Amino acid sequence: MTSRRVFLRGCALAGVGVLGSSALRGGERLLAAVPARDPGDPEVPNEQVARILKDLFGDRPIRKGHISLDMPAVAEDGRIVPVIIESDLPMTAEQHVKAVHLIVDHNPDPHLAAYHLTPALGSVAIQSRIKMKRTTWVRAILETSTGDVWAAYAHVNVSLNGCG
Amino acid sequence: MGIGDARIRIPDRISRGDLITVNAIVSHPMDTGFFRTVDGQPIPAFFIKDVVVSYGEAQVARFEWTSGVSRDPIVSFTLRADKEAPLTIVWTDSKGGVYRQTVNVAFAAV
Repeated sequence: MTSRRVFLRGCALAGVGVLGSSALRGGERLLAAVPARDPGDPEVPNEQVARILKDLFGDRPIRKGHISLDMPAVAEDGRIVPVIIESDLPMTAEQHVKAVHLIVDHNPDPHLAAYHLTPALGSVAIQSRIKMKRTTWVRAILETSTGDVWAAYAHVNVSLNGCG
Repeated sequence: MGIGDARIRIPDRISRGDLITVNAIVSHPMDTGFFRTVDGQPIPAFFIKDVVVSYGEAQVARFEWTSGVSRDPIVSFTLRADKEAPLTIVWTDSKGGVYRQTVNVAFAAV
């Protein structure tokens, strides 16, 4: 009897030890993998989106600001999701917004549209309607004539797949 | 509206220098190529891929689209009305269809 009790106690302690140490290690890993981030920041781009961003903007920093992306938080029909893109940057001969790119992370073709603009438009205020396959981040990224890159992000919950 | 029918809307009264909003719509299925008919036949991709906006002689904007833009695509943008001239939009689809619409930007009599 005594030997059985000792054996069991030994098992229990060993179990606790193993559980404890693995839980601790897991915890450390979790903390390391999830840095504190602004809830308005999108996920790290997937491989396809990362390649698109690299092709468009090279190694230039993509900073948040000077552009707004207005989309519904919940899109009931993924076939028709309204998009409003605006910017406070000047549209003059000296300096203007050259292009605005619309990227939907988890669509079959993420680089959904590119709008090439000129100072003749007077301002950046673009509206359209797009399709979305599923819940994901949408990125509106503009490029100025001086080479600066500015971005805005929106997270859209999609109820009905609009891409087939 | 049949495929390619298009409308452009601008304000009724425009004064020189106004920042006007231009609304445009073209009738088009914008098929992605991912859907099938009720009989199970795949519907091939068929969409507007290029939109060119001209104001007088100048090209003022160009949009590159994919089938991710919704059916009967709309687009709206602003324009600085600094001259009386036609505003023309030309939509080109993935099968070479070209659709054109023009409105005249004219200033209201003072």
